[in-house]
Amino acid sequence: MSVIGQPVRDARSPLGRRNPTIKLVVLFVVSLVVMFVFDPVTPAVLYLLALLGVLASSRMPVRLLMLAHIPFLGFALGLFIVNALSRPGDIFAEWGLFSVTVPGITVGASLALRTLVIGVLAVAFVFSTDGVTLTTSLHQQGRLSARLTYAILAGYRMLQEMPQEWQIIRHAQSVRAPLRPNGRPRAGALAFGRAAFALLVSAIRKGERMSESLESRGLGLTPRTIWRPITVERCDWFFLVGVLCTLALVLMTSKALGYLRGMEALVG
Amino acid sequence: MALDAVSVQFARRAVPVLSDLTFSLRPGEHLIIFAPSGAGKSTILRLISGVIPHSVMATVTGTVEVGGRGITAVAELSRRVGVLGQDPGAALCLPDVEQELALTMENHGVDPTLISSRIDAALLAVGSSDLRLRLTGQLSGGETQRVALAACLTNHQQVLLLDEPTSMLDGPGMARVRTALDEAVERYAPTVILVEHRIDEFAGDRGLEGLPAKALALDKDGRVLAVGATAAVLEQAASSLYDAGCWLPLESELKVVLGKPGGLASSAIQAGLTEWAGEPGGESRRGPGTVVLHANNLAVGRAGGRTLIMNVNFTLNAGEIVAVLGRNGTGKTSLLLTLGQLLAPEGGSVHSSRPGMVFQNPEHQFVAHTVRNEISHGLPSNSALIDVALATYGLSDLAEVSPYRLSGGQKRRLSLAAMLVHDRSILLADEPTFGLDRRGTVGVIEALRRAAHAGTAVVFSSHDLRSVATLAERAIVINDGSIIADGPIFDILRNDPVMAEAGIVVPALIGWLLDSFESPGQIRRVLDRLNSALPLEKAAPAPS
Repeated sequence: MSVIGQPVRDARSPLGRRNPTIKLVVLFVVSLVVMFVFDPVTPAVLYLLALLGVLASSRMPVRLLMLAHIPFLGFALGLFIVNALSRPGDIFAEWGLFSVTVPGITVGASLALRTLVIGVLAVAFVFSTDGVTLTTSLHQQGRLSARLTYAILAGYRMLQEMPQEWQIIRHAQSVRAPLRPNGRPRAGALAFGRAAFALLVSAIRKGERMSESLESRGLGLTPRTIWRPITVERCDWFFLVGVLCTLALVLMTSKALGYLRGMEALVG
Repeated sequence: MALDAVSVQFARRAVPVLSDLTFSLRPGEHLIIFAPSGAGKSTILRLISGVIPHSVMATVTGTVEVGGRGITAVAELSRRVGVLGQDPGAALCLPDVEQELALTMENHGVDPTLISSRIDAALLAVGSSDLRLRLTGQLSGGETQRVALAACLTNHQQVLLLDEPTSMLDGPGMARVRTALDEAVERYAPTVILVEHRIDEFAGDRGLEGLPAKALALDKDGRVLAVGATAAVLEQAASSLYDAGCWLPLESELKVVLGKPGGLASSAIQAGLTEWAGEPGGESRRGPGTVVLHANNLAVGRAGGRTLIMNVNFTLNAGEIVAVLGRNGTGKTSLLLTLGQLLAPEGGSVHSSRPGMVFQNPEHQFVAHTVRNEISHGLPSNSALIDVALATYGLSDLAEVSPYRLSGGQKRRLSLAAMLVHDRSILLADEPTFGLDRRGTVGVIEALRRAAHAGTAVVFSSHDLRSVATLAERAIVINDGSIIADGPIFDILRNDPVMAEAGIVVPALIGWLLDSFESPGQIRRVLDRLNSALPLEKAAPAPS
């Protein structure tokens, strides 16, 4: 299971084999750094590099990667339009009430491309990372406590079972529902609410029993051992250092060529 | 392990769940608890595992000791006590089976190099080696229960607490679990405390010998009726337990009802049962009614899953009672859902008016906040049927109580009442006697029979062969994706190859009846007499 609950197509890909905590750190650092970049060229280069890197290392089908772009593209387009139309500065073009400014276009394009950089990395992370491995890795490398880790995993298991439980409850209640004139069981908001209540009751009880059973199996005792430790391999360090060096190289080259602009792009 | 003068009282309850409980077990001794539902069986187990009072607030007086030490925090106790809770679904907490089995060992600091082989050993013991690489969310109820038991066996704790460890298992699964426990006992001799409804099936062919050597009997208020050697406890307390509606080993039940010891092997018992079989009267069976359901080349399966049952062809007549039999996971529930028009057929067709259906867990069907509104759901609120149904199903005193606060037997009766009040021509019931005590089971049998008598066709699935033999006129046996037998119930139960193929174990009582009597009427009269011997429930006080 990947973080999104869909089966991971290829967790054995080069990216899939990387330590989840390290991947999370890379995602976080890159996202943080691009927050301070406001020219369009630097994030464009970063996006292209990220896209190539993801295609090369995640074995993610191109079609799926395209589809996963849709929400980010939508958000990016929105950012671009709002900035282009609302940012003050030299007028680039005017149609009636609307005027598009030069800083609007550059900052808007920068923000849009930044969204795509973070988007493509996040998609690759989610696709290549197993939810259980991530939690276990956060426990081992990220110092997340055992109690919290296993509580999250138990919650994750409950979530996995919820659709099935929901289906049973909906069936169980629809067989009792009065029929509409067309012969179908009535299924309004009220019926939905009733099923949600039944699901809630069963989830609360189950949660209680699960916490009882986690405790009665010795969760929280020390010292504990880890059966299959998730290790940080040399490759993981190469990956981390490699990505960060590439990032630094792009930023420095961009600065040397005079493209790089930071916060000052917003005011000037 | 020793409990001394222990009483437990929950906040906001007028009376204690357990009063003045004293018993002790030496290492390696086994104990079975007999008690009416709600009398504190699970409370005893939770006391010993430390959940009460460490995780669940309750006032506990007296002392509880495990291995010479007092009760500490639950996690600390887990080094000495292994627990299998009542709901196996909640006993599994992690997404995959391997991790699940490793968890206890990791928590207890077991050397990681030993873990993998111990996982294999535990799964092998419960006969589920093939489940090691599966996801826990994709296991069937029976599989879940076996994996949960395996998770208790990995760490060889001194004490094993088992709360209905076989409730969801079919015949072969039951036998497998029994063997697994025996093997565990042989290997590391744990002390075992068992709560079990399916006593005879658990004991297998060995009768009382197959049960734990010691027993504890409680009355409905959680006071000790007897404690000691199992045979002596049953001798002393069987009659009170019987009146309270508990399941008893067949031998004890027959002794209470016929007043003679020795079980089926005794000629006095045999004479008593034979006399019943020869009595006149009994239920008059009507000829076949009109056809109310017609399944034509039906294929049953879940959307996106594999087809479970193919080529289902049968008709159902008004007033007929049909049992659906088969192993865990053969698709009995899916078949009922398809007949109930809740699951679209993968092929073929079903023709019937809208059937009613009661689900395995009655709570899934509750839609209202009081028992009365539950029954009136879908009826005009002044309908006279509501009070009649409340009275018929013994729920009048509970009319204003929340359905969720009822006992298991009451919940089941309520779900049946709320469905049957609608007068549909077909009632489908998925494991309607699941988890019920003896009285609850008899109550369900009566309700379904009443419905059939009024002309409703009843189709139910069950692993409880005694209820099946008492209730059903016809059985449909499913195995490996198809219906392998369909016919009069006793013909099917006598058909050894079919029973073996479908993994159905015929209990001793039914086996003896089939061997001793030819006519269905005789067999059914005996079973009915055994049910009607059970005194009626005393009016239950409404829960506060």
